[in-house]
Amino acid sequence: MLAIKDLCVDFPVMTGIVHAVADVDISIGSGKRVGFVGESGSGKTTTALAVMRMIKKPGEVSKGQILLGETDILALSSEEMRQTRLRRISYIPQGAMNSLNPVMRIEQQIWDGIVDHEGAVSRSELKRRSDEAIEGVGLPARVARMFPHELSGGMKQRACIAIATALKPELIIADEPTSALDVITQRQVMETLENAQEAIGSALILIGHDMGLMAQCVDELMVMKDGRIVERGAIRDIFKYPEHPYTRQLIASVPSIGGESFLPNVSATTANGQKQGDAPLLEFDGVSKVYGGGFFSKKGNTALYPVSFALDGSRPMIISIVGQSGSGKSTMGSLMLGFNRATTGVVRFEGRDMAIMKRHEVKGLRRHIQAVFQDPYGAFNPYYRVERALSLPLRRFGIAQGAAEIRERCAEACLGVGLDPARIIGRFPHELSGGQRQRLMVARALMLSPKLLVADEPVSMVDASLRASILKNLYDLKDKHGISIVYITHDLATAYHVSDFVIVLHEGHVAEAGAPKEVIGDPQHPYTRLLINSIPWPDVDRQWGTSASAREETARLMKDARDHPPVDRSAVPGFVLARAS
Amino acid sequence: MYLIYLTKRLVMLFLVVVTAATLNFFIPRLSDKSPVLEKITEMSESSAPGSVNMQELLVIFNERFGLDKPLLQQYFDYLGDMLTLDLNYSITSYPTRVADMILAALPWTLGLMVTSTLIAFLVGSVLGALTVWRKDLKLLQFFVPVVMVFSAIPFYLIGLILIYFVAYRGGYFPIGGGYSLTAFPAWDWEFASDVLYHSILPGTSIVIASIGIWALGMRGMMVTVQGEDYMNFAEAKGLKSRRVFLRYAVRNAVLPQVTQLALFMGQLVTGAILVEIVFGYPGMGSLLLQAVDYLDYYTIYGIVFVLILAVAVSMLILDLIYPLLDPRTRHHRA
Repeated sequence: MLAIKDLCVDFPVMTGIVHAVADVDISIGSGKRVGFVGESGSGKTTTALAVMRMIKKPGEVSKGQILLGETDILALSSEEMRQTRLRRISYIPQGAMNSLNPVMRIEQQIWDGIVDHEGAVSRSELKRRSDEAIEGVGLPARVARMFPHELSGGMKQRACIAIATALKPELIIADEPTSALDVITQRQVMETLENAQEAIGSALILIGHDMGLMAQCVDELMVMKDGRIVERGAIRDIFKYPEHPYTRQLIASVPSIGGESFLPNVSATTANGQKQGDAPLLEFDGVSKVYGGGFFSKKGNTALYPVSFALDGSRPMIISIVGQSGSGKSTMGSLMLGFNRATTGVVRFEGRDMAIMKRHEVKGLRRHIQAVFQDPYGAFNPYYRVERALSLPLRRFGIAQGAAEIRERCAEACLGVGLDPARIIGRFPHELSGGQRQRLMVARALMLSPKLLVADEPVSMVDASLRASILKNLYDLKDKHGISIVYITHDLATAYHVSDFVIVLHEGHVAEAGAPKEVIGDPQHPYTRLLINSIPWPDVDRQWGTSASAREETARLMKDARDHPPVDRSAVPGFVLARAS
Repeated sequence: MYLIYLTKRLVMLFLVVVTAATLNFFIPRLSDKSPVLEKITEMSESSAPGSVNMQELLVIFNERFGLDKPLLQQYFDYLGDMLTLDLNYSITSYPTRVADMILAALPWTLGLMVTSTLIAFLVGSVLGALTVWRKDLKLLQFFVPVVMVFSAIPFYLIGLILIYFVAYRGGYFPIGGGYSLTAFPAWDWEFASDVLYHSILPGTSIVIASIGIWALGMRGMMVTVQGEDYMNFAEAKGLKSRRVFLRYAVRNAVLPQVTQLALFMGQLVTGAILVEIVFGYPGMGSLLLQAVDYLDYYTIYGIVFVLILAVAVSMLILDLIYPLLDPRTRHHRA
């Protein structure tokens, strides 16, 4: 149905020509699901864009042929190509969060596609078809009348699928359709996509970097690296007998619950004098957070219900806080960092109430509590070179004096996270890869030798292959530097391996808490079970979830979770979670 | 919900107007010039020597205009006058009422400034959008540096250049004034065309001077919007280029321009002053300049109060219509 022959895509750059895609041969049968997997820059998205004829200048297809059925895509006029898009091939771009026009209702964004491909269609017919498309992706018809900002991330992604499938194309290309979604939403969205694809009988190209997702969703797999396909075949064969070392590395980089840890099993050393006094390092005393709610507006939004815990800190620990987006986990993180004030209760650091600290105390606090954030692209000032970004905290806290010493400390910090200072230090953030930036963020936090590090989704935006090495960096912090870490994530598999204690948050309440082997290895609370069932396993023989329908299973477990009392698992020394009355 | 919002907004509007009106009252009072003295001096110059008793007149006039009362009392009288829209008598042109003077001048200014600002906004925004959208049109790319140069020239200077070359040397348009001296003001075609004819040069100078601001603003926003993911998806949807341009790119890029336009509309009269003087145009700008010259308190108060109202009301209108343009700013129904 789709045949790509000897495709080459070139991008001219200052130093010559970059072959973003080189000699790619792919043939996809009708109704088949094919995965393109590889890290960023491997050419998977570029190949898809070549099929759409949407490669941005100055890049161009320098060689090859793309056949869609009998149609030679590369020979079409631009008007013929326009008519081919959506009607015959639809493309759901990366970042569905922002793929919808913010000033148009969802239904209008379905209509314009219909009208521009089929000519004038009566209003009632348009309405009927948009409602059908919206209901076809499992959303209520009233969503069609809403604007994008009124929808959640998962709903927006489904609306994009509704738009892309409204004209029943022969081929759907979905570019990382779930990369910004939590596991529960991811499973529902993928089910929606597969159902829609089966209903119209089209082929599907799924682009991604998560081997687990691939194992659950596709029939065939193309593993891409540096613009070339390094391995291809039926998904089952690839998982059974991966031939290329890169494929093996990709499969191994997916953390799984239970089994061998991808991290070295070193017992934590005692803290090297990180903690002072007898008071716990970090303490939450009946802390809750309500957003909004003023004199005129309605009742505020409770992000976090009262929670109390004490992290002793004499032995460094990694505490994981897991949950869906909107579960209150990031709110908890920002309360720890003192970015937000608790609505009720007291947050104490080494026994002192953070809310009543004086200016200079707050400054000291910043040194002791550092953060690593989710978005490695937004965390650095684009106008500062790495050197400046790294040396600023050193100067601010007076840790190092003199240019030579500062340079030395910066270099040390880079080496500490496996970066070559000579190649990094003089560059601007945009010249670095996402993984390098994320490591730099760890390096910057580490330079101040903090006592506590709050890492909010530190690996959710980097490739699977980098994920393990960044987590390894974090893990080392605990062992080598005796730093306690609060790891906020929606990825239960990594939480299982790195943490000493896990707190599962559900709609602002603690659902389940305890040692990871118990909470994640043998979940008792329906919500924890739902989270774990939603993880796509890198195992073709293991079914995704326990029920064939993700929607039904989610609804059932969510309903159970709402009434279920919190589950306390056995205690872990060094961390006390008290139930707030 | 909406009613509460509207009430809050109206209370806000009232507070803004009162605060601005207070400043308006006190700032002219900082001058040591006396408007009454100016008026009397002028009167005595035009009448027979000795026939005017200066001291006596000063007292009578001060009493007549309430300038003998304590300042605070005057302030409250003033606030009352303004809020009831009773703009008092002009000191300089007594016994003409300020309201009548404003009503005579306002249509000229509004007609000239609103029309030319709207033309500049529309043409500038369209050109700015097209320079980004149609990279293939070489003429448009050439247009950007040209408008940048023009937007750096103050518009009275452009006005002077136009007067010299087009009106004086070329003789195509009148050198100044709102209408011909021989024309008789009436609601007929003859007079209307005469007014239009006179407004072309001042209008053109405003359009030339401000078109660049709109074009550059729009160009910047278009570049930003082009990088948005929804533009990518629109292309992938195979939409017609015209629809992507109008409904996706321009529709989003124009939003900040509209805010800018509302701010501009509020400052129309201030912007009009120099143009009206250069072209001898009978509008609010000329009137305000005259009033400031003689420190005619009541005329200044009246004009500035109208300006304050104009800014406040145009911001209110913007706030009320903006949610229609950008659904993200809409208040959720409870």
